[in-house]
Amino acid sequence: MSLQNSFLKLRRDFNRWSWSTLLLLAIIAIPVITIFIKLFDGPGESWGHISKVLLVDYLTNSFWLAVFCTFFTLLFVVSTAWLVTRYEFPLRKHLEWMLIIPLAVPGYIMAYAYAGFLDYGGGVSQVVHWLGVENFKLDIMNVYGLSFVLSISLFSYVYVSTRAFFLTQAVNLLEASRMLGTSERTSFFKLILPLARPAIIAGLILVLMEVLNDYGAAQYFGVNTFTTGIFRSWFSLEEPETAIYLSALLLVLIFSLILIEKWQRRKMQFSSAKISRITTSNRLVLSNFGQFVILFWVLLPVVLGFIIPLYQLLVWASKTFEMVFDDGFFWLSFQSFGIAFITAIFTVLFALLLLYFSKWNKIYHIQNAAKLGILGYAIPGAVVAIGIMIPTLFIDKWMIEKGIATKFIINGTLIALVYAYVVRFLAVAYQPLESSALKVNTSIPDSSKVLGMGNFKTFFKIEFPLIKAGMLSAFILVFIDTLKELPLTLILKPYHINTLAVKAFEYASDEMVMHAAIPSLFIILTAVIPVIFLNKLLLQHG
Amino acid sequence: MDKILEIKSLSKSFDGGKKFAVNDVDFHINRGDICAVVGESGSGKTTLIRLIAGLEHPDNGTITINGKEVSSIKKVVVPEKRNIGMVFQEYALFPHLNVLDNILYGISKKKDKKKIAAEVLELVGLKDYHERYPHELSGGQQQRVALARALAPNPSLLILDEPFSNLDAMLRMQLRNEVFNIIKKMGVTAIFVTHDTQDALAVADEILIFQNGHLIQKDQASELYNKPQSIYVASLFGNTVQLNKGLKNAFRCPLKEDCCHAIRNEKISINASDCEYVTTAKILKRTFLGTHTQLMLELENGEHLTVVTPEAVLGNEISVGFNSKDVLAFDD
Repeated sequence: MSLQNSFLKLRRDFNRWSWSTLLLLAIIAIPVITIFIKLFDGPGESWGHISKVLLVDYLTNSFWLAVFCTFFTLLFVVSTAWLVTRYEFPLRKHLEWMLIIPLAVPGYIMAYAYAGFLDYGGGVSQVVHWLGVENFKLDIMNVYGLSFVLSISLFSYVYVSTRAFFLTQAVNLLEASRMLGTSERTSFFKLILPLARPAIIAGLILVLMEVLNDYGAAQYFGVNTFTTGIFRSWFSLEEPETAIYLSALLLVLIFSLILIEKWQRRKMQFSSAKISRITTSNRLVLSNFGQFVILFWVLLPVVLGFIIPLYQLLVWASKTFEMVFDDGFFWLSFQSFGIAFITAIFTVLFALLLLYFSKWNKIYHIQNAAKLGILGYAIPGAVVAIGIMIPTLFIDKWMIEKGIATKFIINGTLIALVYAYVVRFLAVAYQPLESSALKVNTSIPDSSKVLGMGNFKTFFKIEFPLIKAGMLSAFILVFIDTLKELPLTLILKPYHINTLAVKAFEYASDEMVMHAAIPSLFIILTAVIPVIFLNKLLLQHG
Repeated sequence: MDKILEIKSLSKSFDGGKKFAVNDVDFHINRGDICAVVGESGSGKTTLIRLIAGLEHPDNGTITINGKEVSSIKKVVVPEKRNIGMVFQEYALFPHLNVLDNILYGISKKKDKKKIAAEVLELVGLKDYHERYPHELSGGQQQRVALARALAPNPSLLILDEPFSNLDAMLRMQLRNEVFNIIKKMGVTAIFVTHDTQDALAVADEILIFQNGHLIQKDQASELYNKPQSIYVASLFGNTVQLNKGLKNAFRCPLKEDCCHAIRNEKISINASDCEYVTTAKILKRTFLGTHTQLMLELENGEHLTVVTPEAVLGNEISVGFNSKDVLAFDD
């Protein structure tokens, strides 16, 4: 094609949806662009000290966190996912979805609960006391303990992705392998496990991103990580430049993870055209003892990831109920749910706009670029917050200078906070929307257009009714994630507003961790319902 | 005659120009004609009709409908402003709307929409079905609703994408006749895409053959059958044997060796000594196929040839032959 033709084609196809898509992408990209631009301002005064002393600490801690979380998930979760898929045993049906429930417990709450459970007077010390040992305490306030609590609060990501693979792809292959004379065990290790690798790694990368995103648990355990470093530079040292340098380094780590994920998927793109499902009839049934062993093994992550923290929080809640549960708490919950609600609405709306504007845009490269918009989920909350703090501060100051405003109207208000949530949780909304939009055959909107309806009419009359379920799940998922979010909220929340997550964090930081139980329970119990809902959705989608 | 659709040097590529789905295509369709687009999957036929409908934007060339240029390198008229009717391969009925609402969808602004809807439903024989939802209909019924919906706005051009591919053989024939009787009755100009040459032969006034994005031949059915321009076109309309050097020698036929020749399988006669070119052959294998028998033959000079015959053939040695008027010649 000649250059002139390419130009004419570009002019013809570059419609208002192309503009709109690029605009949406720019809005999402502002935090990362800010961090990148601000790098040129040079590091702050403490950077020399941090890079010599603390950076090694951050890197080694991140390294050990990654190693332990990987080890834990591979050992417990992959085996568990296989057991619930392939074997029949008592309670299997319930455990199948209960293994997703730990996702409802944010890392920092898991950290509070375990620190208490293993402390003097906690659940473990009581059991040990009964056995005759006095003053027992298991110190988990270190990088190993942090790996443990983060692993058990995040392992479900790997469980979900791995089980989805096992459920849909593994059975036919396994049966073929058995027919060729290979034992069940050899088939699993030589065939199923290697094939499941992309699914396992995809889940694992999500876990590692969340580990790097964590602030509350690391801060409580006193472990130095990139996020605690960012917070310290920003709040204690009051050196935004240093916080930006740390954010940039963290972004490099995160994007390497994304690249690894993309690379491993490119190399191992196995997919079987035929999708099968394990039915009850082809699950294996072991002897009673075997079933008991499996039950124990599968129960373990549920007990560790949900029952124990729930128990600990309930014990604390019963002690602090009267002190915490007052009018103020009601108002706090109202604010927290309100913010989550507003955020969920805006995020779903933004995701819908991005999805459909990029579809209506006729330029192939812009359609591809639109998918970059969901990378916000990979960016740690603290980094998003700083990337939004700086430009909003700039705009507000400019507006006051120009006399447009008399006070800050973006920074330090709900606008900046919700904006940051939208950037961070766009992917959470985008993915269920995209998958439900994909289930609508393209010929359906096409036929609406041929029948004389434009893009908007087609959307409201045809696509909207057909993707309602996807929109609902997108809404709920963002709602929950907003409710759980801590680091971003800590940095950007308006002064007079508080959330359940921040309240729990404040109690824990003020040596009043018992008081954190009630706000924590509110978060967990609100999150549990949709986690079950999510599971149903995943089962439907396969 | 007046042209309803005119396409000039139309091209469309995907993946950023790496693969051409439609490559430099020229043709036109006259008002009232039914035109079939035939090709294997991946030949570009679906892209062609999506370009005509305005669902894809061309890389080059123009599309003119009813004398108005609707697609070019400079502008593309949106699908909703083209007055085209389209029946999709998967029917694409709106699953949340009932039959009547599906049909009313494209004519919501017309005053007598209820009357039109009743008419088209009557036309496709589904007047008692307007309350039903798409999932409550059989495949054939869905097909007819899709046709009714496409015809309701009185389009100047009707496009049907693989309209019968999701139906079983019996229903397919019945519905094919029904659908095209309706189209003929309405006098609508129609393009329909198919990979089945029988569909095309049965109903089309004109047939366009596509291969790898190129329009390789456009003719009436009988012309395509009798004067295919390439061995590919010939083979689309029945089994064809290419006459290679060995076969030409076996039959001692004086055809130029540098020219490509072929003969249709059904034009090869068994035990026919009155043919111009005859040779004897040994039967290696017989396969009974119901209405006819397939014979695998070894000719005098050792060449192999497969023929079909409706008659029972006795003995192991037979003569085979064909006439020069049945030989197809191609340039390539």
